[in-house]
Amino acid sequence: MSLRDLSWALNTLLELVLLSYLLRRKLYRSHTPFFIYIVAVILQSAIVAASYRYLGEGSVASFNIAWTTQAIVICARWFAVIDIARKAFAGFSGIWELAVRVLFVGTACVLIYSIWSAGNRWTLAVLTADRAEELCIAAFIVFLLIFVRYYGMPLNDFERMLAIGFVLYSCFAVINISIYEHFRRPFAPLWNYLEMLTFIASLTLWVVAIRRYAESTEVAIEPTLTEEHYLELSEKLNSRLHLLNHRLDHLFRSGDPRP
Amino acid sequence: MTLPIILFISVAVMLILLLTWAVRPPKKTQLSVDDVFNALSEKRHYARLPQILQSLRDEDTDFLYTKGHDALANRLRRDRKYIALRYLNYLEDEYRLLLEASRILARVAPEVSPIAEFDRFRLNVRFVLACRYLRWRLRLGLQPWDVFGILSDMEGDLTLRLEAAATRIGERAAMASEFPLFLENRGRDSK
Repeated sequence: MSLRDLSWALNTLLELVLLSYLLRRKLYRSHTPFFIYIVAVILQSAIVAASYRYLGEGSVASFNIAWTTQAIVICARWFAVIDIARKAFAGFSGIWELAVRVLFVGTACVLIYSIWSAGNRWTLAVLTADRAEELCIAAFIVFLLIFVRYYGMPLNDFERMLAIGFVLYSCFAVINISIYEHFRRPFAPLWNYLEMLTFIASLTLWVVAIRRYAESTEVAIEPTLTEEHYLELSEKLNSRLHLLNHRLDHLFRSGDPRP
Repeated sequence: MTLPIILFISVAVMLILLLTWAVRPPKKTQLSVDDVFNALSEKRHYARLPQILQSLRDEDTDFLYTKGHDALANRLRRDRKYIALRYLNYLEDEYRLLLEASRILARVAPEVSPIAEFDRFRLNVRFVLACRYLRWRLRLGLQPWDVFGILSDMEGDLTLRLEAAATRIGERAAMASEFPLFLENRGRDSK
């Protein structure tokens, strides 16, 4: 058994472990897009393995199958990432409106830059598109986490770990593809191996996160503006408005600029 | 290696570095809505600026030199510089508090203005840089007039913006209080 086969086996094993945890903890209900993503990844592994076996590794059919399934997996990953963003901003409608614009404008800029910088090398079109998409995902999540930190918003540890796993995988994929673009063929076997290795790291992170999630109690996210809070806030604001009005009256009556 | 490849790798590394910064737990404790209003109602430090500026002027202690009290004048200037540095610390703390208050307002506000948020972010960066620059100027015994003015104006400006934002929310609250039935129904629906 080669090192590549070993890492492939480890990859599949970790994917199955993760899937079993998602099923056992019933997290497929609360984290449906992530669950679909993991299922898509497992199916992709099985389909690609079968195509390599029966159609040959270097065949055009295998190439088409591998990249078509990869496109499906990428779509599933985007849904999982957007689900993390939706959960992070749940209950913060004002910031969500702002974040949506920033995140999409930011990622669109990254996408445009990636496509533009790819130039006319259409022989690497699939790879450069893959890199552009990986960079977009990484940028999207990093901007999201910066938002979360800047506004001090509560984010579940599990979602945080999912986000970290996605970013690390995407960033290493970008580095990996960029190095492959330079070295091409001689780097191909190592490229495949490194890609699997980075995904193994992300899977390990998610398995650890899901284990911790099961052990610890779920973090209760306190609603930011409850009715009680809202009434308290409005009362204080009204008294403050009265005070400002009073100061204004005082200014008009006395002509004294001091409050 | 071509420039685009180097740039791609650099961007990926930069994103990993930003990620490590973003996932670190925040140092400061979270403020409550009460703290926001306390921050707005407290007496502002920037109001003391004229006195601080006056105390730092050489003319304020020149008469001691003319009278021959050089040691006393030097001590006075040193002490006043120390007080100015402390004032700067308070100003910075106050600015941070107001900034934190503005974040809380953004969190509870049903609508957030992107321009106002970016403007605040830009102001924050400018304030931090100006604060550091001023601190070094004071330590080196240079005149701080212009920078002090900028910092106080920025803090005053932020307070005004916060008050405006609070007023907007207040207006919404006032409107909502005119429709208690609507709120009641909404509360019942949510149950």
